[in-house]
Amino acid sequence: MNWLGRTLRDAVLPPIVLLAVVAVVWDRAVVAYDIKPYLLPRPGLVAQAVWTNQLKLLGAIRYTGTAAVCGLALSLVVGTAVSFAFSQSRWLRSAGYPYALFLQTVPIVAIAPLLVWWCGQGFQSVVLTAFIISLFPIIAGGTTGLLSVEPDLVDLFRLHNATRWQTLWRLRTPNAVPALCTGLKTSCGLAVVGAVVGEYFAGQVGLQNGLGYLIQFHIAGLKMADLFAAVLASTALTVAMFGVTSVATAAILARWYDVPAEHRA
Amino acid sequence: MRCWWVVGLVMLMVGCGTPSAPTTPVKTSGTGSPLAAKPQAVTIALNWFPEAEHGGFYAALVHGYYAEAGLDVTIQPGGPNTPVLQQAAAGRVDFAVDNADKLLLARAQEADVVAVMAPIQNSPRCLLVHADSGINTFDDLARQTDFTISMSVGQPFARFLAKRLDLSGLKTAPYSGNVAPFLLNQRSAQQGYSFSEPFVARQQGAETKLLMVSDLGFNTYTSLLVTSRSHIKKQPDLVRKVVAASVRGWRKYLESPEETNQFIHEQNPEMALDVLAFGARDLKPLCLPEGLAPDRLGAMTAERWETLTQQLRDIEALTDGKVQAGEAYSTAFLPTIKP
Repeated sequence: MNWLGRTLRDAVLPPIVLLAVVAVVWDRAVVAYDIKPYLLPRPGLVAQAVWTNQLKLLGAIRYTGTAAVCGLALSLVVGTAVSFAFSQSRWLRSAGYPYALFLQTVPIVAIAPLLVWWCGQGFQSVVLTAFIISLFPIIAGGTTGLLSVEPDLVDLFRLHNATRWQTLWRLRTPNAVPALCTGLKTSCGLAVVGAVVGEYFAGQVGLQNGLGYLIQFHIAGLKMADLFAAVLASTALTVAMFGVTSVATAAILARWYDVPAEHRA
Repeated sequence: MRCWWVVGLVMLMVGCGTPSAPTTPVKTSGTGSPLAAKPQAVTIALNWFPEAEHGGFYAALVHGYYAEAGLDVTIQPGGPNTPVLQQAAAGRVDFAVDNADKLLLARAQEADVVAVMAPIQNSPRCLLVHADSGINTFDDLARQTDFTISMSVGQPFARFLAKRLDLSGLKTAPYSGNVAPFLLNQRSAQQGYSFSEPFVARQQGAETKLLMVSDLGFNTYTSLLVTSRSHIKKQPDLVRKVVAASVRGWRKYLESPEETNQFIHEQNPEMALDVLAFGARDLKPLCLPEGLAPDRLGAMTAERWETLTQQLRDIEALTDGKVQAGEAYSTAFLPTIKP
């Protein structure tokens, strides 16, 4: 079987089968327990909403997806830089870590006026939100990877009079890549959540209507089927981003390391 | 006489339509209180944090009007997007407090909820602009350029404004419940309730001018007392009692809100007493507008419900024919108006 066939069989088919099973159980449950549409619409109605709103949904996925990818890329760059800094100084690490956690836990709505004041209403503030929410796993992964080097190897480098820079670049950095990759995968979903939440307060209605806008719009209008369609679209976006990241990180890891079988692409 | 009254109460307790002998012994003497029977538990779920817009319901609780009617009422505070109408429709709570537009949208999703009392007749919904902005009307507003309006995304009033006015030259931003962006930007407007946000803005040093959305004809009954149709069918007497006590509570709140405001402040410490006092004062003309006799507090008219239903159809928030205005409310439980 070729690569495409294997991918379809192993990665695409199982979730589709599960989706079909869930949809059937969901539909039967709604009918059997007489669940009203204001609580849970039937999957058929949701599918219909996806179909009728497909252009809107695709536009929204494009907008929110772009913001999420930009935020994630920013997180990767900044997060990696911060973890390098953290790995080089215990003082810096102790000083900075709580604030990295602050970024992860701060309710965005609390700093929303500030973000909008700094960056203005619109795309850039949405990216900033995605960045803030997705940054921490990368810092945590990177720092852990850079620090958790086997002591024997550190001794070996010391025996050979390696400079601090050489130890960092040739020993610590390669050691950090797997942890960074894991951090990046965790951050994928967070970046989408961040972009959606960002649109809640920093988006620009009418011009840039992303998934966050659609979700809010349908909550306000109590259009449950349309709301579920928008939620499904953000799930699809997250899955796509996660898929691309998984393939990319697996490729990187396969070139550098003898990775365990279950992590191979 | 009194004996019959107690029997009636017991009948209510064991449920209407079951005329079997009461299983619970009822104390009829000893305490000297006319309410010897155990009060009936009732939950009222609010659509927002406790505020002045819920004042009358709290007043009925604070001043014991619910207790006098033999009710043990719990008022359950809400917050942004709390699904109170859904909970009422599903029977998880006995009553909900929400606005008329939301109620019609919920009915479109087969939530069989019915409004039984409308304490706030005229909607406090407004847009705030800075007092020195030179904007006095909605038309002035629509003429602005390089100007931002913050409104909750998808709210019917916001969709109504977008349809009614040509806002194409303005930027619309989502409103996230904070007046700071408005205060920071002179070239902006934001949504609000006329008895709340202007006061908060003034505390922060900004004088505002209000553009009332109701002036454009979009006037939703606000803080409606809502229950489910099945609740109405099963316990009409209970609904009548809750409505009567709530009307009494609202009357009291509009006359002397101090004690109630103290209680609301305890429930929601973020709501300062001065904001509540301002709110209660400015609510009065909205609850008892000119032309409404004081004993009609809480009333609703077919015309108002029809107009709103049509407006929601016009902005495509409702599909034609799916929701009938006449099914959305009932005035049958309001206290009989003395001739």
